[in-house]
Amino acid sequence: MSCQGLMMTQASPGRVNPGLYKRNPPIAGEAEAIQAAQKGDPEAFAILYNLHKRRVYTLCLRMLGNVSEAEDMTQNAFLHLFRKLGSFRGESAFSTWLHRLTVNLVLMQLRKKGLSLVSLEETVNPSDDDAPRRDFGSRDPVLAGSVDRVALERAVAALPPGYRTVFVLHDVEGFEHNEIATMLDCSTGNSKSQLHKARLRLRELLRNPSQPPQPSAYTESAK
Amino acid sequence: MTLPGNIDFDNLKPEEFEHILPDLFASGNGKVSQDPRLKKFLAANPDCAALVTDLETIAETARSLFEPVAEPSDRVWQNIQAQLQEDSALASIDDDYIDPDAPVD
Repeated sequence: MSCQGLMMTQASPGRVNPGLYKRNPPIAGEAEAIQAAQKGDPEAFAILYNLHKRRVYTLCLRMLGNVSEAEDMTQNAFLHLFRKLGSFRGESAFSTWLHRLTVNLVLMQLRKKGLSLVSLEETVNPSDDDAPRRDFGSRDPVLAGSVDRVALERAVAALPPGYRTVFVLHDVEGFEHNEIATMLDCSTGNSKSQLHKARLRLRELLRNPSQPPQPSAYTESAK
Repeated sequence: MTLPGNIDFDNLKPEEFEHILPDLFASGNGKVSQDPRLKKFLAANPDCAALVTDLETIAETARSLFEPVAEPSDRVWQNIQAQLQEDSALASIDDDYIDPDAPVD
């Protein structure tokens, strides 16, 4: 049984994630810009784009691992946003709404590319090739206490797409396992398992930075 | 996958610990190293304790990645603007549309 059924749901302003809301405090001038943009004011669109472009683009880049695709997805996300803005009722943080919209679009794109984001089988029958080594031994002081942010960014980019997706959604973006399970159409147990394996793989990558980088690591598209 | 209720934390084996670790991280505040039930086990198994410390460090550092680090090129906004203008033009065509089969006053 595979877990292929990604849902392209509309952003749901009614479902507030308190953790994410804390990380998305209201931005000065944003509410006025939203109101004006809902009436079709082009300058307000520009304000909203400038307020959120970096965060949306960074999210796309992390999940897609490719500059060109991340730019296309950013464009797509904002076009969706501006076309659907009338349905935003302000019941959640605007950026939370925008993030959820972006994540759903990215997941749809990954699925179109045929990437298996989560496999239910691997929790029952883990693949030796795919799963990180279970390594309790050879303690290495490198990670004790701190990890370089840039090194972690690089390691995240080198993760296989399935691990990277769950890690970015949970540990970076702050989504809960039940939310990720809904987005990926899999069980919460599977989300937890994927996250754990992603962290184990990151530990390996950070302890052995000389490992060859994966081709997906923030590359320009070859298209 | 949820944490079984009958775990004997005082006599936990590393293999059992490995099995329940994803759920230990997912429960509570994710601070496995501070779980009082595991104090004895982690003290007796320094490799497991090192693993926990590393995974906690990775998760904590990941939170700092939430702040954006990159910016899209100007091309992205130019394309959005062009598309929005096209949408707007199409909408105005729809507004001006006259049904040729509509009765004439």
